[in-house]
Amino acid sequence: MASIKVPEQKVILCGEYGVGKSSLFRRYAYDTFISSSSRKSTLGLDNFNKEYKVDDRSIQMQLWDTGGMERVASITSSYYKFAEAAILVFSLDNAASFHVLSQHLLEIVTYAENAKIFLCGNKSDLEGTTPQVTEADMENFCEQCHNLISSTYKTSCKTGEGVEEMFADIGRQLILSNRSRLELQTMGAGGIGTDSFKLGGRGSEEGEVAEPPCLC
Amino acid sequence: MDEEYDAIVLGTGLKECILSGMLSVSGKKVLHIDRNKYYGGESASITPLEELFSKFGSTLPDEVTFGRGRDWNVDLIPKFLMANGSLVKLLIHTGVTRYLEFKSVEGSYVFKGGKISKVPVDQKEALASDLMGLFEKRRFRNFLVYIQEFSEADPKTWKDINPQSATTAQLYDKFGLDPNTKDFTGHALALYRDDEYINDLAIHTIRRIKLYSDSLARYGKSPYLYPMYGLGELPQSFARLSAIYGGTYMLDKPVDEIVIENGKVVGVRSGTEIARCKQVYCDPSYVQDRVKKLNQVIRCICLMDHPIPNTKDALSCQIIIPQKQVNRKSDIYVSLVSYTHQVSAKGWFIAMVSTTVETDNPELEIKPGLDLLGSYKKKFVTVSDYYEPTDLGTESQIFISTSYDATTHFETVCTDVVNLFKRGTGEDFDFSKIKLEEEAS
Repeated sequence: MASIKVPEQKVILCGEYGVGKSSLFRRYAYDTFISSSSRKSTLGLDNFNKEYKVDDRSIQMQLWDTGGMERVASITSSYYKFAEAAILVFSLDNAASFHVLSQHLLEIVTYAENAKIFLCGNKSDLEGTTPQVTEADMENFCEQCHNLISSTYKTSCKTGEGVEEMFADIGRQLILSNRSRLELQTMGAGGIGTDSFKLGGRGSEEGEVAEPPCLC
Repeated sequence: MDEEYDAIVLGTGLKECILSGMLSVSGKKVLHIDRNKYYGGESASITPLEELFSKFGSTLPDEVTFGRGRDWNVDLIPKFLMANGSLVKLLIHTGVTRYLEFKSVEGSYVFKGGKISKVPVDQKEALASDLMGLFEKRRFRNFLVYIQEFSEADPKTWKDINPQSATTAQLYDKFGLDPNTKDFTGHALALYRDDEYINDLAIHTIRRIKLYSDSLARYGKSPYLYPMYGLGELPQSFARLSAIYGGTYMLDKPVDEIVIENGKVVGVRSGTEIARCKQVYCDPSYVQDRVKKLNQVIRCICLMDHPIPNTKDALSCQIIIPQKQVNRKSDIYVSLVSYTHQVSAKGWFIAMVSTTVETDNPELEIKPGLDLLGSYKKKFVTVSDYYEPTDLGTESQIFISTSYDATTHFETVCTDVVNLFKRGTGEDFDFSKIKLEEEAS
């Protein structure tokens, strides 16, 4: 079964426990919403691929959820490895979840140096008339982190507002910014890191053998 | 923490993380604790480089520039994955492979008569090898052909030797192999650490040589794989599996007491908090009074700015020094990884020399390995005790893993994990229980 390989791009969700990272994941993957009262915990959410297109170019966005590890312990550094983008999520009705973001940002720049970073204020349905986190706060934050943040978004997983728009926009930005890198890779000028491979997937243990890496 | 769990796992080394993943997947409620503030315990890759220096009580020197500290991820225990080995199977069956990327290790060498040679694995290589004389090459070739065609299920391929009753020595003699050939076959292909295997059943040796050649057939240059960013990625990946199946993680949490009632574990105390449980799974460091020391392993980490001489500038390789070559009882292992695995700064290499300790001067024991490296810029030496549990945990319900041994691969790690799981749960791990939500779509 020959197919043209669409590049996979890992995008990770970061932020405090309870800001709605898994809800964003569910909206993205299945367009569903489960209210906190009827939900047990982050269970079984791993990663999910979805294709985004700009003109004739497309990518497989691979969104990753934390697996709930941030509840008590810290997230593994592995989570950040190979990430092309990170979405910093906070809850618009919880100022503390916003003020702690610089810590999450630090982890991203440490372990996923080259990832593009996006800021997402979730639970916009709970914002009310006196917002806990204002747009000015968000702008200030972006300025303080030396414009490391590529774009900011407001979403509501409950109503679905802004969610698909956010992922589509991130997908678009990844396609545009990765153009040169992908072209470099196809020309074989990658050097380090381009000849590493994933082991054959489940069930394909016998059949699927990765191509032997080149000797260059 | 003040809750009740089916199992509490102590330590986030590779064995404990695989177990934690298996237990969570099997529907058990798992609490996983580490006293360190990082994942991986002894199987962590240390980063940044400053952290490695401080771990060994020193500081980064000014005169040598090791590049950027955070580009380094240095393993404390050197190992490679056999491409067709148990850990790869476990990674694939659990789906954990999706979290990792690998590179094939470039070369596999064996030390003989003062120099190193490529390990020959097929007929062509055997005939070209400088390890043997002409007549010996033909005998070795016949031996390789026999192994290749050997099938456990088909006695016709056994020829006139019964591998279930004959010893390895008898197998070797049947093909008339000379002592040198026996030496590199047993140590560089079957990967035995000492010579006790000679009197063991031939079938065990045949299986091990087959594992080597099947592994080699999968990705090419050598039978070994190494993960990008270092071995510390392995425990983290299994920890994620456990978390996704509901496992709770606590790091930087002291373990003050394993609470026992009537000879059976009932919980784990940290400060004034007690988490109750039916079982505990842990590494030996959490239960010093329930393990016995068997021997010691010496491991030496060398930071170098060049590849190992006489390896065709391989960016990764393994060299086995069979015990007889240096008048020892156990082999010396040398492994090399480099900046191409994202474990060191650009242009840097990490060599590791290790062996089972036999004398009062372990540093002298690894000298034959160090001599192969050429110059190095920094050396860190550890001598660690190898522990085994004093009992199987049947009564106490405390299941203790063994320390990491001197072997160069993960086969014994997997055997221990599979045994622990079976001892603890009374059943074999059922891979069909792994179903992630995404796969439902």
